[in-house]
Amino acid sequence: MSESVNVDERPLVQRAIAVLWPSFLVAGVATVLLFTWVDPAELSQCLDGMPAVTRMEAYSVGFFILWLFAATASALTCYFGRPPSR
Amino acid sequence: MSEHKPSAGDNDQAFYEKRAKVYPREVHGIFAHLRLLGVVVLLGIFYGAPWLTWGGRQAIWFDLPGRKFHILAWTFWPQDFFLLALLLIIAALSLFFFTALAGRLWCGYACPQTVWTEVFLWIEQRLEGDRARQMKLDKGPWTSRKLAIKGTKHTIWVLFSLFTGITFVGYFTPIVELMPRFFTLQTGGWENFWILFYGFATWGNAGFMREQVCIYMCPYARFQSAMFDKDTLVISYDPARGEPRGSRKRGVDPREKGLGDCIDCTLCVQVCPTGIDIRDGLQYQCIGCAACVDVCDEVMDKMEYPRGLVRYTTENAMEGKPAHVLRPRVILYGLLLLVLFAALAVGIGIRNPVGIDVIRDRNVLYRELPDGRVENVYILKLLNKADSVRDYRVEIRGLPGAELVIDRTMPVAVPAGGVVEIPARVRIDPALLDMPTAEVIFEARVEGLPDEGNERRGRFVGRMQ
Repeated sequence: MSESVNVDERPLVQRAIAVLWPSFLVAGVATVLLFTWVDPAELSQCLDGMPAVTRMEAYSVGFFILWLFAATASALTCYFGRPPSR
Repeated sequence: MSEHKPSAGDNDQAFYEKRAKVYPREVHGIFAHLRLLGVVVLLGIFYGAPWLTWGGRQAIWFDLPGRKFHILAWTFWPQDFFLLALLLIIAALSLFFFTALAGRLWCGYACPQTVWTEVFLWIEQRLEGDRARQMKLDKGPWTSRKLAIKGTKHTIWVLFSLFTGITFVGYFTPIVELMPRFFTLQTGGWENFWILFYGFATWGNAGFMREQVCIYMCPYARFQSAMFDKDTLVISYDPARGEPRGSRKRGVDPREKGLGDCIDCTLCVQVCPTGIDIRDGLQYQCIGCAACVDVCDEVMDKMEYPRGLVRYTTENAMEGKPAHVLRPRVILYGLLLLVLFAALAVGIGIRNPVGIDVIRDRNVLYRELPDGRVENVYILKLLNKADSVRDYRVEIRGLPGAELVIDRTMPVAVPAGGVVEIPARVRIDPALLDMPTAEVIFEARVEGLPDEGNERRGRFVGRMQ
């Protein structure tokens, strides 16, 4: 992978992994930090209208939401990293 | 054989770039034995540890739904997070320390990517045969024989991956009940999901991605060179001795033919799991597995040349300069590690299973009672980090003449790993206060265990007479 390669020329799988993989790592760390600090069982007691979820469900769903956010940031980086079209 | 590229296999459109599939040739020798030892020990720990029990529960059990980690005799709560953080820092620093000292030992012998890939390669070699046979099989048409071999390989890979996934989830859900539940299809949705997720990752990473994980995906592989210096142990080809390379018959004096010791058999390239040529010099793709060292030593033995044309050495040693084991960065990493280890030991040692938090009632600063005394209201949070339910008794001191009123019968039972909140009131005759505010110490003691307890300061706001 030479540095001069135009981002657009990289295959789709490669771009997908460039977005999904770093965000996976960051989401993992963020999940640990978030749920060490916040107990989802207590959270559902405090917030009205929050559906009753088990901790396991909350951890898993929380991880995927964080992954989605991190992946969005990665995808935007990829998008803005492309040379602008005329 | 004079090919320089790793293989003539199909050009797969792989995950990262058009790459030739790497078919690492099986290798024997001292470093291969060491790696095998690493594989057996590490996978033995991984697959065996969840089955150990300690005091009636799983010995190593990360009980996420219960928000506690059991490790042998210890139980850690979210309040002990800093210990976990400390442990992770120690792990990272150990990696730096060993990298500075001996290069990529981690990558070559201990990384899960290497360890699981070794197992998958071993299965592949048993079924598909050696390197040449694998390449022939992949090139050939889809005959029933090829279908049978590939089918068997993938069945075994998938079963092994599935078992790995179950074991992984077994660290979070007691494995003795998880295993039978899985095989009777009684596992819950998220359990199934994570078993399949981890199993799929194992299958994909060890079966297909292999060296691409190290080259393109691993963050450590990208920055490990920052820990290197001229005294770091690396695997290196000795060009002064090997060049000019070239083939020759056995027993021919290479000096007469104007050749170095390298017979250009390209076995070092064929055994390389990342498909590089070590003779091109130090490359970041090199995971330091020493397969090329083993195979080259074998060739040198056959040629009756001295071993070590490719060997573990340092940049300084190659240049004939003296080697230094103790260098500033090694000493610095070592000292930091010692300090952090000491901090961790102290942190675990002084961990108090009794916790108390004092929160003043925010709504009312103070209240005057009909009998002339002043009252403050607090919420006390009693925390039990021990493994069993405990009875707590709360008292105050440090404020002579003050009375503690708690509308609950003492002692208060606090469940294992639980928090109990109790409202508490402190009353005092303002004549006894010499300042508008005073300090009062709340003390939680465990009933029947006089040595166990903890205390916390609270602020008392009064009105001076």
